[in-house]
Amino acid sequence: MCEKHNNEGNCFSHVESGLKAVEINCTVNGEEVCAYIDPTMTLLNFLRRELKLFGTKEGCGEGECGACTIIMNNAPVNSCIILALEAIGAKITTVEGLSNNGKMSILQREFISHDALQCGFCTPGMLMSARALLDRNQNPNEKEIKEAIAGNFCRCTGYVPIINAITETARLEREGIKNEC
Amino acid sequence: MLSKFDYVKPQLLTEALNYLEENDGTRILAGGTDLMIMLRHNADTPKHILDIKAIPEMNLLENRINEGMFIGACITVNQVAESKAIIDKYPALVQAANYLASYQLRNRATLVGNICNASPGADLAAPLMVYDAKVHIASAEGTRTVDINSFFTGVKRTVLKRNELVIGVTLPEVSEGDNSIFLKQARIKGHDLAIVGVTARITADKKVRLAITAVAPTPISIEKLEETLSNQPLTEEIADMAGKEVRNIIKPISDVRSSADYRLHVAGVLVKRALLYLAAMGGK
Repeated sequence: MCEKHNNEGNCFSHVESGLKAVEINCTVNGEEVCAYIDPTMTLLNFLRRELKLFGTKEGCGEGECGACTIIMNNAPVNSCIILALEAIGAKITTVEGLSNNGKMSILQREFISHDALQCGFCTPGMLMSARALLDRNQNPNEKEIKEAIAGNFCRCTGYVPIINAITETARLEREGIKNEC
Repeated sequence: MLSKFDYVKPQLLTEALNYLEENDGTRILAGGTDLMIMLRHNADTPKHILDIKAIPEMNLLENRINEGMFIGACITVNQVAESKAIIDKYPALVQAANYLASYQLRNRATLVGNICNASPGADLAAPLMVYDAKVHIASAEGTRTVDINSFFTGVKRTVLKRNELVIGVTLPEVSEGDNSIFLKQARIKGHDLAIVGVTARITADKKVRLAITAVAPTPISIEKLEETLSNQPLTEEIADMAGKEVRNIIKPISDVRSSADYRLHVAGVLVKRALLYLAAMGGK
């Protein structure tokens, strides 16, 4: 019985390859995680299938579209082309880790107020690329924002509202509003 | 994935080399940005995966006296692009690094992985070639060093033997006044391999180096032109001549990205543009 997910079965037994499960320890959204997983499992599948963190999406599955972007050890990466085992000891943030006690971060709220999403499939990855950019550069210009999200494909909105949302977030965060919410 | 593999991540180089020696069907994993896609498509079904990221020697990025800049096999493309020392001395390498795929991918992809994958269009290969980078190779039997210009042997093929792996590459020291440029034509920026990639370098003593990707089974140095260009001042006429002449030297193929004709044309344009840039900039 998996208490966390109120699941009758054991959430940590999804083994496809038939190989012996191996242990993985890492920190996901500030929480230490220990699991036994299929060694051929990708990090993306580990997050979705094992941890039930469904925010991170699988698009192309080959590191092109960026829907699976997460932040791993402070760097945005494509989780679909990383083995879960490579994340042993890593510190991982997914889109679920952006909000605080159910309250959305300023970045998420700006995406909403700028209508920077339609179908929303690219949004988790887009948010993580944006978060990583703002963590390393508090005042990015338009070119830097475009470069940071060049690996995230959006097929609905066009990119202008997204760029505006990131620019506005950067401004608000510089003014210290981040700490107030 | 159809692959059923053991995953090992040794802490010591000797452990890794012994593992490689003892286990047929081992693939080396650094960034995984090429390997994982092969696994996903079942284009490769290795029995063993050797993750080299925990090996200290492989994670070094340092200037070595009398040798030059050492870039370990696990140094990512973004680490290369953000290294102050590399930005100062090897501009074409930084330009190529910044042009490779997306930011997320560059956080995983490694410079050494780019050359070991040995794509004819490997973005980082031509910059390494114009700087005569040295590739340090190790196996359980010992080590050897190969010049990057003799590292590639064919499409996706290198001089690496089954039991060997690359520890890193060294970029020889450059003198004040050295300059270089990387130009790439692709259907869209990032996310696509080059239609043609041109790297040109002018050394402090005005020798010109030229290497091109995606126009032959391997990245190639254009030695014929290098000689001609190095024996005279770099003028607009000379750049124009080189742009025309390069079309007689390379023999590109048509593929999904471009026709051979277009490749010939673009190679000429980029060679001329690169040389004009170097002529205008002089040594920086």
